[in-house]
This record gives sequence, C-alpha cells and structure tokens, in this order.
Amino acid sequence: MRLLVVEDDPELGRRLSDRLRAADFAVELATCRNEAEDWPDVGAMAAVILDLGLPDGDGIDLLRHWRNARVETPILILTARGSWQDKVEGLNAGADDFVVKPVRFEELQARLNALFRRQQGTRNNLLEIGDLSLDPIARTVEHAGVPLALSKQEFRLLHLFMRRAGQVMSQADILDDLYELDADRELNTVEVLVGRLRRKIGREHIVTQRGMGYRFEK
Amino acid sequence: MSSRPVPGSLRLRFLLAITLWVVLGIGAIWFSAVGIFSKHVEESYHEELEVHVRELGRLAEVGPDGQLRLTRPLSDPRYEEPLSGFYWQITARNRQALRSESMTRGTLDEHIAHSPEILHTLENGPSGPAITYGFTRKGPSDEDIHFVIATDQSELDRLIGSFTRDLSLWLVGLGVFLLATGMAIISFGLHPLDRLSVAIGRLRRGEAQDLEGRYPAEIAPLVADLNAYLHQNADMIAKSRVQAANLAHSLRTPLAVITDEAERLGETAGGREPSKVLLDQARAMEQQIDFQLARARSSTGQPYSARWVRLPEVAEPILRAMKRLHPDKHFVLETNNCDGVQLPLDEVDYSELLSILLDNAGKWATREVKLQFVCEPNQSFTARVIDDGSGMTEKELSHAFEIGSRFDRQKSGSGLGLAIARDLADALGLTLDLSNTPSGLAATVCFHPASIER
Repeated sequence: MRLLVVEDDPELGRRLSDRLRAADFAVELATCRNEAEDWPDVGAMAAVILDLGLPDGDGIDLLRHWRNARVETPILILTARGSWQDKVEGLNAGADDFVVKPVRFEELQARLNALFRRQQGTRNNLLEIGDLSLDPIARTVEHAGVPLALSKQEFRLLHLFMRRAGQVMSQADILDDLYELDADRELNTVEVLVGRLRRKIGREHIVTQRGMGYRFEK
Repeated sequence: MSSRPVPGSLRLRFLLAITLWVVLGIGAIWFSAVGIFSKHVEESYHEELEVHVRELGRLAEVGPDGQLRLTRPLSDPRYEEPLSGFYWQITARNRQALRSESMTRGTLDEHIAHSPEILHTLENGPSGPAITYGFTRKGPSDEDIHFVIATDQSELDRLIGSFTRDLSLWLVGLGVFLLATGMAIISFGLHPLDRLSVAIGRLRRGEAQDLEGRYPAEIAPLVADLNAYLHQNADMIAKSRVQAANLAHSLRTPLAVITDEAERLGETAGGREPSKVLLDQARAMEQQIDFQLARARSSTGQPYSARWVRLPEVAEPILRAMKRLHPDKHFVLETNNCDGVQLPLDEVDYSELLSILLDNAGKWATREVKLQFVCEPNQSFTARVIDDGSGMTEKELSHAFEIGSRFDRQKSGSGLGLAIARDLADALGLTLDLSNTPSGLAATVCFHPASIER
C-alpha cells in the first residue's frame, strides 16, 4: 500500500516515512504544498498523511483542492494545530481523520487502519475472501485455517489483491502500489511475485487477463 | 447607570448639594424677608399710632363743664368697635377720665404718658399685650392731661404671621420647583454618563467591540483612552494567542521526533525502561502544551468579546465534523425551541466546548449521540450532550474534570478534554456538569443571563 506523507519538517518526515515503511507501506514524501499538489497520482494512494502548517501554503487549502478535484483517497491530517476549530475545519474540508502531534506510531497506524476499514466498509481489520484470511495489523495470512509464511512483498501483493478483489490491475498499477516512485521498478518483478504467491495460495485465486493484467477472484 | 440615586453615586452627591443649596438659599430668603417685612410693618404701625395719639391730642379739650371731651371722634372707626384692640384714654387729675368706646373694660396706664414727648412701650391692655403711646399736655388749671393710645400687639403679630405664612408657602413652592429643576439639570448633565453606562453594558454583553457614541468634551478623552485600551488589549490577546499557538506548534514537532526516538529506543535491547520514561515525560509535556494552549486560546479574562453564538448554526459544522470523525456513530441535533436564538458568548470558545463534549460522547457512545438545546422563558439556555454509552461510576464522575483523567486507555485521547471543557465553561461564565442518564452519560452546559451580568 502506498502512502503520501506531506510533512515539511525533514527530521519528522524521515522518521515517519521509515516507520511506515517498516510497517510495510510504500511511502512517498512531499515536503511542501506545491510538491504535494503536483503529485501525479494522489488518487492512487492508499491514504495521505497531511501536515497543515506547510511553508508555502495551508494544508487545508491543499485538502480542499484535492477534494474539489474529486480525489477520494482517505486523508489523515497530522498536525501540530490542536484546536477544535482547526479540527472541525479540517474534517469539514474533507479530511477523514485528524491527529495532533506528537502521536505514538501505534496509534497512527491504528487510525490509518481504521481509515482503510472504513473505505472497505468493514468493521474489523480482517480481510476474508474464500478460504483466505489476511490480518493487516497482525500481518498474518491463513489459507483454509493454516498459517502461511509470506515474504514482505508477497504479503503486500496479497493485501492489494484482497483489497481490490474482482478488479483488474495492470502490472503498472501493482508496481505503483508496491513500490515508491524512485525505487527500481521492473515489470517482471510483478510476474515473479505473482508466480510465487500463486504457489502459496493456489493458482485459482489470481486470474491473468491477457494484455490487461491480473484479477483476484472474489 | 440607574436614574435613581444610589449611595456614593454622582447623582446623589449632586442631589445633596443642590438640596443643601436650595434649603440654605430659601432659608436665608425667608429670614431676610420676614425680618425686613416685620421691621417695615412695625415702623408703619408705630407711625400710625403716633399719628393717632397726635390726632387724639388735637381733638381733646376741656368742655365748659370742666369735663374732658373730643371735638369729634377719631378718624379710625376701629376705636368705636368694642374690644377691637384699638383703644385710647385721656385722664387728668380731678376730671373724669375719657375712654374710647372700644374699651368696654379695663384701663390704660396713664403713667406711660408722663412727658410732653410722645413715648411708647409694651403694656397689658384690655385685651392682652398692647403697644401703648402716650404724652402729656398742660390743662387749663396747669394740670397734666395724659393722652394714651394702645393697640393690641396681637394685631401686629397677626399681620406679620399672615405675611410669614404666605411667604413660607411661596418659598416652599419655590424650593420644590428649584429642587425639581435641579434634578432635571442633574439628569441632563449626567445623561452622557447614562449613555456611557449603556455603552459599557453593550460592551460587557458582547454587543459592541468598544464604547460607542459621542460624548461631551470632559468625558470624550476618557472614552477615547478606554477604547484605545480595549483595542490594545484585544490586539495583545490576539497576538498572545498566535504566539501561544506558534509556540505550541514549534514544540510539538520536536516532541513528535522525541516520541519517535523514544519508541525506537523501546524496541532495542535494554531500552524499554528509558523509553518508557521518555514517553511518559513527552506525554506530560504534551498535556501541558495542550492545556496551556487551550487556556491561552480561550477568552479567559475577557469573557465578553464582541461575538455571538447563533443557534443552531454553531453546532452544524461541528456535527458534520463529528460524523466524519466517528462515522459509525449517529449524531442527532434536537434544537427544540431554540432556532434563531443568539447567545452573547464567544463563538470560538463555545464551539471548542461543544466539540470536546461531542467528541468525548462520540468515543463512548454505543450507537448514538444526541445534542439537545433547551431555551427557557427566563432566557437561560441549556445544551445537553447525551451518549448511549456505559456512563460513569460515581468515582469517575468525581475525577472527570481533572487533568489527565482517562478512563479507558484503549481509546485515543489525552485525558485533557473535560479539564479544558471545564476551563472554557468557567471562562464563558457557564456551568458544566456530568451526570448519568438511563441511556448513558449526559454533559449539561447551562447559560444563565445573570451569570454574565457580574
């Protein structure tokens, strides 16, 4: 899952990105409003973590800009502004959650997962499709009740497939979600990963749509 | 400013001064007028009696029979009327005394007339104390003929008394008129202060941002100074709030880095304890920042800034935000009879207060949070935030407003919300109470107009 973090403080931005990467997110970091506003695929992000006090503009305005542009990505405001006036303004401008700095990473992760759950319309963290179940918090996968051992990238791919079950995803879509923009991105990496995942969960779950990409069967 | 004089008021001071002035003035006039009139009347009276005694001397003669007689009656008919208070008497040795017809009893003391010079004194007359004039003249046998005229003192007293009564009546009327005029002048003179009082009332109720209106040259500089002070104070508070927010902002980001470093430390071997200490201290710092910033943001010390809370508009954006923040909870607004009502409260502070209570209720509610507005006929207003959660125990209720009170550490929050809410309520002059209801917990915020009029 790819996240966009908009944070102007370089130290905090770096630490937050590291933490999120350690939690298996692919993280893009924008350090000012203009950079975030020009980000090419905000709509494809799993979520945006947005600071309000940016050096070249207000985060609330950026939030409104995205919502006016029909960007539906969940947006969590992470800011040093703690007044309810700011919270109400931020939430009514289209934010899905509002967290005041400093925040324990554990809580931030829980709030992000709550956003993902809300987006998927489920009340618990567990994703269940057929005989597969995936817990993104505990980072466990079970196949017919039997725990599966997956690598970090295999887990991310399965998580993506299960979140978008029934949808056809191109290799580029998958790369966008799994890797950061400046990472080494080779299309055959996806083929290799899909092959390994099929061997572990069964071929029937992932269908190849020739010339289009892959679809995870519901 | 009240139009009735109250102790220590300028109105009372002016009223007392004018009353004293009027009483002294009227009293002086009364004493002077009565004195001058009495003197004038007495002089006229004495002159008249002297004329009468001279006339008596001219009209008296010794008849052929050797008896005293008058050639004609005195010109004043009051000497003919019995006991009229006007008497005369003529006596001479070895002759029968001659008396006025008015003197039906008693006699006049002939010794008053013991000299050719006209003399007068106060004597007892036939009908009380009398002013008596007399002189002597030689008769045919070289005897002394005593001419005495007397007039009751009461006659003079009656004249003076009548004048004094009339004068007193008029002077009392004049005094009342002067006092009424004085009060009108006080009211007219103090009217700018009354307007100033109204302007201060509007300022206190938050209906104005400064002292409005034009004032006389004596008050205008004071009003201008006060307005300058108010604006300076408001600017200072606004700047302080911005500075406090900036300070909090600049502290929170490094604090976030410290928190992260502490968390990382906790993940290393042997770093658990130092990490806990760092995280606890970071949390304490965060609480202090939040609490002090909330206090700085609130209108403490300046409770009646020129803002209004409009119902139900104040709650609508907050409820929209709450629905996003707690999407699995149902937020309901019951405005009852409060649509269109305006409260003289700082909107930002009141919104902050409602937000804290609604967010708190949203965290604890099972399914529904209700915001009820109730407007009473006596202008008091109640906002109740009711959740359908588990409520609080008596012990929890008694500690609910303390800084750092958290009853479920699994739920997000700093444990500051209700402490800040109580602080905000106090600053706004509102009462805030928590109580259990059959459905859950209710936070009740009451506004009493009397609490504003301090």
